[in-house]
Amino acid sequence: MRRVILYEKFERFWHWMQALLIITLMITGFEVRGLIHLHLLGFATAVTVHNYSALALVVLIVFAIFWHFTTGEWRQYVPTRKFLRDMVGFYLTGIFKGAPHPVKKHRMAKLNPLQRLAYLGFKVLIIPVQVTTGALYFFYPNLSRMGWPPSSLWVIAVLHVIGAFALVAFLVGHLYLTTTGHTPLTNLKAMLTGYEDMPDDEYMDEEN
Amino acid sequence: MPHPPRNPSPPRLRRSLQALLGLLALSCFSVQAQQASSPAPVGHGSYIGVHAQQDSMQTADHSKFKILQGPFKDGDGPAVTKACLTCHTEAAKQVMATQHWQWRVPQKGLESYGKATDLVNNFCISIRGGNTATCARCHAGYGFQDKTFDFSNPDNVDCLVCHDTTGDYEKEAAGWPNPAVPLADIAQKVGRPTLKNCGACHFFGGGADATKHGDLDDTILNAPRTEDVHMSKQGAGMTCVDCHVSSAHQVGGPDYVIPANKREQPKYPGESISRMSCTACHTDHPHKSYILNRHYQKVACQTCHIPEFARDKRGTNLWWDWSTAGKLKNGRPYTVEGKDGFETYNSMHGDMIWARDVVPTYVWYDGNMKFTRLTDTITPPKDPNGSIMLNPVEGSYTDPNAKIWPFKFHEGKQPYDTVLNKLIAPYTAGPAGSGAFWGDWKWDPAIKQGMETAGLPYSGHYGFVRTTMIWPITHMVAPKEQALSCTACHTQKGRLAKVPGFYLLGRDRGTGLDFIGIGVILLTLVGVAVHGILRFIHGRH
Repeated sequence: MRRVILYEKFERFWHWMQALLIITLMITGFEVRGLIHLHLLGFATAVTVHNYSALALVVLIVFAIFWHFTTGEWRQYVPTRKFLRDMVGFYLTGIFKGAPHPVKKHRMAKLNPLQRLAYLGFKVLIIPVQVTTGALYFFYPNLSRMGWPPSSLWVIAVLHVIGAFALVAFLVGHLYLTTTGHTPLTNLKAMLTGYEDMPDDEYMDEEN
Repeated sequence: MPHPPRNPSPPRLRRSLQALLGLLALSCFSVQAQQASSPAPVGHGSYIGVHAQQDSMQTADHSKFKILQGPFKDGDGPAVTKACLTCHTEAAKQVMATQHWQWRVPQKGLESYGKATDLVNNFCISIRGGNTATCARCHAGYGFQDKTFDFSNPDNVDCLVCHDTTGDYEKEAAGWPNPAVPLADIAQKVGRPTLKNCGACHFFGGGADATKHGDLDDTILNAPRTEDVHMSKQGAGMTCVDCHVSSAHQVGGPDYVIPANKREQPKYPGESISRMSCTACHTDHPHKSYILNRHYQKVACQTCHIPEFARDKRGTNLWWDWSTAGKLKNGRPYTVEGKDGFETYNSMHGDMIWARDVVPTYVWYDGNMKFTRLTDTITPPKDPNGSIMLNPVEGSYTDPNAKIWPFKFHEGKQPYDTVLNKLIAPYTAGPAGSGAFWGDWKWDPAIKQGMETAGLPYSGHYGFVRTTMIWPITHMVAPKEQALSCTACHTQKGRLAKVPGFYLLGRDRGTGLDFIGIGVILLTLVGVAVHGILRFIHGRH
């Protein structure tokens, strides 16, 4: 066994802050939409909380982008086909038979090919769509004055809602997959403490 | 005119955050967030002190004028007017240029609008069929009996109806003062018009208190703050003329068309301007919330701030069916009172419906309203429940001047010429034997005589047609705590459920989209559950 640092302090802060904000946005967003009759905060408060959370998330993302580029951590998300088939096979069959995880973790390659694809999609597709449509939604009165047709608000709203549903589905899958580590809580612990205790064969040394 | 105080509110963290969001997310668009950072007015004070101050600053005590000592002959209004004009030499000329005198609107291309024209409404229909004397109880003049009235005689101007401060003044048929009115006493105590002066006519539109407008009735004289935050003595204590500012006796008013998006600004300092719009005092961004302020782009202030109209004990008329009028019991007209104390039938008017605390109907309105006249050809609807809109309004979401406005919808049935397809001015107000409907209870002679008096053709065949009118609601503004909450409209079956042409958050949600979205989430849940169960069964973790 070896104790390995996987997630830096900022990375953990970023992750949990983002989780908190997205869950807040999710709840307030669905309350405002009237999807479920929640009445948790009331419409006006829900709108206000939604907008401030969105603003906070944008600020957080700006810092995260800066961090990714200055640390080179963005490379973690470059998609690869190496071991992709093995990963799919692992989740479909191997995991039930107790087969070993096909991808070894490394400080600079801590994400498996499926995670890379999922998180990259999250970062370059879902989040940008939500931020853009959200901003367009917020500033729609200005756009309307600039001549955007009334139907454009409908399009913005529909895209924003599709993005929201995608985020919830992502969250469900994400939460489940955290349990597929060495033990069901291994990944969660790592995300909280930054460290993971790994059997030697699950970690790829610098030298290898 | 003294101004209520305005204090700039302190800059808010919220606004700076909003500005930051603007910079971050939309630096490429022209952000109008600066609108929110200008000072918002706080507190508008009471006008009661303002009025007392105005009264104390009068330079003339009218009781000291010899010419006003009288005595005046009973009911001799013109003698009083003559006395007034000895000092106020131009006053009559000014009054005679106004709608209060002419009963038509010569300006703004609305020559054919006004009570003295061919305009038709859902209530007393028209004055033209020989009803002038009765209706002229509310004319700012003396002797408006019929079309022979001399509109150019300054002595016929009624000064007292607007300037009486005693509350004793009263007008009778053709606008003559009630002979019992103490003219000299009233003349010595004239002053600025109060709620009572304007209300004497404007609370009674449609022939009786609260009938026509719904947002104006005599409960306003003693309104609690909750009924009318402006005119209540516990509220701002304002009078009509605080907003309907006059210039040379021309009282600022809507002239049949209420500007939906008006922002009065004086053209030069000290110009006497009408404050007929909310924004004239409150600015167009009076809320602390940036989002609420932005509603002004598409929503009239009245829409949220007048949650219901007819909010005191008076019911306003919602249905007036002339087709059932004229039924008699033992040869005499009668009335029927409903459970709520309102008259549900009157031989004079037919079936009626009255209501209090009425939720307005919301319509896109850009300030343009068309009216129907006796001379206009109508198209009677084929559907028996169909109705002719007598005053259609214009406006839509895409119209930059249009806003969602609250209206009172009024429906009724009135006679029309089934051959010529035109509405009719019947002779209603007259004694038995005159042929008037309220004297002899027969439509045919009443219509024949009315159209003859009006000088309009009548085929001899009449029927009844359903007509609709809508009346903008702008008075009876409630205190802010009574304003509508977000979800009055931002919900699926809210107040704006039927207002078309735009996407409304909380109202418009494709249930299909929600169905698919929830479906995807559920499928994901099922997927991970099955996966988890399989893992458990296979004994790994």
